[in-house]
Amino acid sequence: MSTITVDTTLLRDAALGAVATVDDPEIPGVSIVDLGLLETVTATVDGRVAIGLIPTFSGCPALAMIAADVEAAVAALPEVEEVTVEWLRSPVWTIERVTEDARRTMATDLTLAVRVDSNPTPCPRCGSPTEEKSEFGSSRCRAVHRCGSCLEVIEVMRDR
Amino acid sequence: MTSMTPGTAEFLLAFADDEHLMGQQHTEWIGIAPFLEEDMAFASIAQDELSHAALLYAIVADNGQGGPPDDRAIDTLAFDRSAADYRSAQIVEVACTGWAHALVRHWLYDTAEELRWSLVDGSSLEPLRDAAAHAAREERFHVRHADGLIDVLAHTPDSADRLADAVNALLPLATGLFEPVAGEAEAIEAGVTSAPFDTMLPEWTDRVRARFPEIDIGAIAAPAYAGRAQRHGDFAALMARMNEVRGIDPTAVW
Repeated sequence: MSTITVDTTLLRDAALGAVATVDDPEIPGVSIVDLGLLETVTATVDGRVAIGLIPTFSGCPALAMIAADVEAAVAALPEVEEVTVEWLRSPVWTIERVTEDARRTMATDLTLAVRVDSNPTPCPRCGSPTEEKSEFGSSRCRAVHRCGSCLEVIEVMRDR
Repeated sequence: MTSMTPGTAEFLLAFADDEHLMGQQHTEWIGIAPFLEEDMAFASIAQDELSHAALLYAIVADNGQGGPPDDRAIDTLAFDRSAADYRSAQIVEVACTGWAHALVRHWLYDTAEELRWSLVDGSSLEPLRDAAAHAAREERFHVRHADGLIDVLAHTPDSADRLADAVNALLPLATGLFEPVAGEAEAIEAGVTSAPFDTMLPEWTDRVRARFPEIDIGAIAAPAYAGRAQRHGDFAALMARMNEVRGIDPTAVW
């Protein structure tokens, strides 16, 4: 057993920082923390860290990869003795959990919009209203829209 | 948390088997759907159904304790039972005969499934209640998707005929979804589910009538149940297809 006593607040913050370095494999450049996938972080005085994540959709095929990435990132911290990563059964993820920062990055770098309400989703390129062309896109959390003005085809992250 | 009764496990297995086989059937369209958007839609819907099956198998596998899912135990339940041990309804076992068949089955199944999950959204079994919260949100996409396509196709004569043929072929099998399953009474007793699934048959029937008003669907008032006890003739081929890759190395980690 380790005899080192760590400051759990500092360790928790360090773990959170490590999780924040993990990108969603389907949205490179955007942290899973900014997507709202992180639900709980706990740290103990003997260096055990437990991370609780929630999936966007229950059948997301990236879950194993994300968990492995999170585990590796946290395990790399020198003060961490053990890390567990768990996909929690609740709460259910909602689109409101996606931060403003992430929304900006997705719009600018990936032409990926976020639909938060029933109003037409604005085009990430020109701001004009877009129209849904297909309820299902390249991954389970995305629909396909087209901008009525610049005609760009865009993907829209959405939850309902 | 108390462990669940054998009856509850039976009840959940029937639900899981339906979800699993429906998901597997939908995957058949990946790469060959009539247009690209449908290819992606069926892939996503299949993904959801397979996930719902995994959530249900996981509950059976760890006896309702709500622990982290054990993928190997889930696969054992999903793939390694003998044909006689499956409890699936025949509508999810029958081979698809074409696009109209796939679309109508998708609508009939998901309309029933939405009602089925609603019976367990207040379940005494916490992991089942959590699964229902995910499924309820995801099922809304499914019914909306099927409705959107049928709205379009029902208005061209050729498509309308094909839809009608598919409805007539599938309705007798679809009612089999509501056939009481072993353990259901026990599951109700334990508060795992709120009512027998067949109490939802009138509501489902109303929705079918509203969806297909021009089709004579009088027969569904009195379903002939017998499907869950025996496998449809197409089941063996489906199982073979499902296990084709896995059978190369059942211990492989994905």
